[in-house]
Amino acid sequence: MTDRAPLASRIEQHALAEETATEPEIALDFDVPEEADDRRGLGIDLPFRTRLTVALVAASILPLAGFGLLLVAVGGIGTEAQTLGRLLLFAIALAAVLAILLAYLLIADLTGPLRAIGRAVDRVAAGDLGTPIDLPGEDELGRLAESHNRLAADLERRNRQLARILAAIETTSPRDGVDWLVGRAAADAREAFGLIDAEIRLGSPSAVPAEEVVPGEPRPVRATLQTGPDPTGVLVGHLPATGRWERADQDLLDLFAAQVAIAIRNAELFARVEAQNAQLIELDAAKDDFLRGVSHNLQTPLARIRAHAEQLDAVSPDRRLGIIAEQTDRLSRMVRQLLTVTRLESGALRPQPEVLSLAARVRRAWEALAAADVSFSLADDAEGWLAIGDADQLDQVLWALLDNGVKYGHGTPIEATVRLEVDRRRLRLTIADHGRGVPEEDRARLFGRFERGSDVAPDEGSGLGLYVSRELCRAMGGDLVLEPSARAPGAAFTIVLPAEAPEET
Amino acid sequence: MYAASAPYGPAAPRILLVDDDPGLLVLLADQLRNDGFEVQTARDGEEALRRLGGGWPDLLIIDMMMPRKDGLTLAREIKAQADLPIIVLSAIDAGDSKADLLEEVAEDYVTKPYHYPELRARIHRVLRRLGDRVPRQSLVLGPNLTLELHRRTAIVAGTPVQLTPTESRLLYALAANLGQTVSTETLLARGWAETEDADPSYVWVTMRRLRQKVEVDANRPAHLQTVRGVGYRLVGTETG
Repeated sequence: MTDRAPLASRIEQHALAEETATEPEIALDFDVPEEADDRRGLGIDLPFRTRLTVALVAASILPLAGFGLLLVAVGGIGTEAQTLGRLLLFAIALAAVLAILLAYLLIADLTGPLRAIGRAVDRVAAGDLGTPIDLPGEDELGRLAESHNRLAADLERRNRQLARILAAIETTSPRDGVDWLVGRAAADAREAFGLIDAEIRLGSPSAVPAEEVVPGEPRPVRATLQTGPDPTGVLVGHLPATGRWERADQDLLDLFAAQVAIAIRNAELFARVEAQNAQLIELDAAKDDFLRGVSHNLQTPLARIRAHAEQLDAVSPDRRLGIIAEQTDRLSRMVRQLLTVTRLESGALRPQPEVLSLAARVRRAWEALAAADVSFSLADDAEGWLAIGDADQLDQVLWALLDNGVKYGHGTPIEATVRLEVDRRRLRLTIADHGRGVPEEDRARLFGRFERGSDVAPDEGSGLGLYVSRELCRAMGGDLVLEPSARAPGAAFTIVLPAEAPEET
Repeated sequence: MYAASAPYGPAAPRILLVDDDPGLLVLLADQLRNDGFEVQTARDGEEALRRLGGGWPDLLIIDMMMPRKDGLTLAREIKAQADLPIIVLSAIDAGDSKADLLEEVAEDYVTKPYHYPELRARIHRVLRRLGDRVPRQSLVLGPNLTLELHRRTAIVAGTPVQLTPTESRLLYALAANLGQTVSTETLLARGWAETEDADPSYVWVTMRRLRQKVEVDANRPAHLQTVRGVGYRLVGTETG
């Protein structure tokens, strides 16, 4: 749809050209010779009607008056001549009166048709193209009326063409594909311009030689398809020998060709984007399959190791078997975390909100970590309130936070506290170690992807734990925040989750 | 609160275990037999279907990724024949898009590597619903509520609402005893495995949330009624 604005402005420009076409010099035939500038006359600034009256009166009186004056001058002094002179003056006066009367009649006869033409031009300006001037005759006025009528008819025809072209352009969609668009545009051009045939050929326009105009034969018409610096094709067709083809028609055809070129380019771009999308979807599916495969291939042997260790431990208990089971779990959790990251990216994470006790969950997560050499305490002030969250996803968060606490607390005691915020209907679980805490400069970027603290060795951890954990908490309608260092000596992270009261209702 | 083993009287529950990993298959079968289950094993989907021909088990445990016929296809084929409870055991975790599809057909989902006590707890929970009979397709309770538990959906005033696995387990237990009060203890045992540290408040809160989902007016429930101090009752508006 990016071509909409330029299209609209081009049509507007064209409409303006149509309006100004009421001035004769645009819409007349090409072969009309340049006319002399007749408009100025004598340059006397008087209304047309007055000028005409003066001209007529002058034309009828001046010869008579001239003759009378000549007689008076030649005859001079005789009484007969005086009588004749009076008679002449009387005749001149009479002629003048008659001339004025005649002039009025003539003016009415002349200005009537002119006013009719004026009204017709006003109608055209107002948009009424369907009412011709009815002025028969072969004289100048008749020809003027005829050329006005032809102008109005041309305007109407082009308006119809423009409307058809607009409709054709409006109804195309890049989804239709290039082949369909080319066929459709040729048919539209044929219909809108009244052509016998029309065809669009893509490629260089020079590959299609221009045809000569032969009088009496169908007239070839042609327009170049162009969107950028290089032409992309050409529209060729034939007009019936009886048809009229004027500059405005060619302008319209050029405009149409430009729009067709844009539509074709859009269709090509769309097809390319579609193909890329299809490829991306395919790649995405392949990636999912790959991850599934990796997960399966890693977890299956882990499952076997774990099951055997568990069974052996049941038969003859050995502390080392427990360690094997714990370390398999640890590996397996890392694989899961990587999978979770890819799902976060693709937005495929859909938590199943269930009811759960935060304290019980954190205790189990701690047991699963089996960090026996680190002391752990849990204070539950939830007052029985239950958190709403996805158990699997919450476990991932808890493992990551507790694991961090063990790793970066360097053996200091870990404290977990569950607190209730009744008015906000949520629970806050804070997990704090007593290590060195998080340096000021690391606080802002701690939750970014692949970020570790600046004092952490680069091969330690994946740098994904906090990023994944925060995203998971937010997906569950909660959050994960780092407590300000002033409030806790080590690092203290707080999980916030929506909660519900333990009431039977 | 829960009996750890052999809580099913003289007839041991029969489990059909389908996994393409022979090592795990033998090991898990041994673990299950030790806990008093009668176990049959199958290496792939075709073998599983052949074994089903010889008699229905009480429960199936199916691996999701198997050669030839995957777990999802197998589960669908089995569900088309009978409403057998299925637990999916998979290396692909529950967040995967394929796992979503499985939830249509599986009662529960256990991720590999599994912890045997956890798996056993899930098996016990699923087996507690044995004997419950709920209409396979849809259960119309009134103009504003239809349950389609086989796809974990409630249709509330014409709009489908997705239920969580726990919610649909509770509704299954209530629907199997339509019109009768089901005790909070029973619902607790149906909704949660022993390993989940659940207590009656889990039932209360889940039922309250469920009511907000499936009732047009949660303050005046038409279908999900509390029998204070005892349990809950699911009623249809047509039958009263």
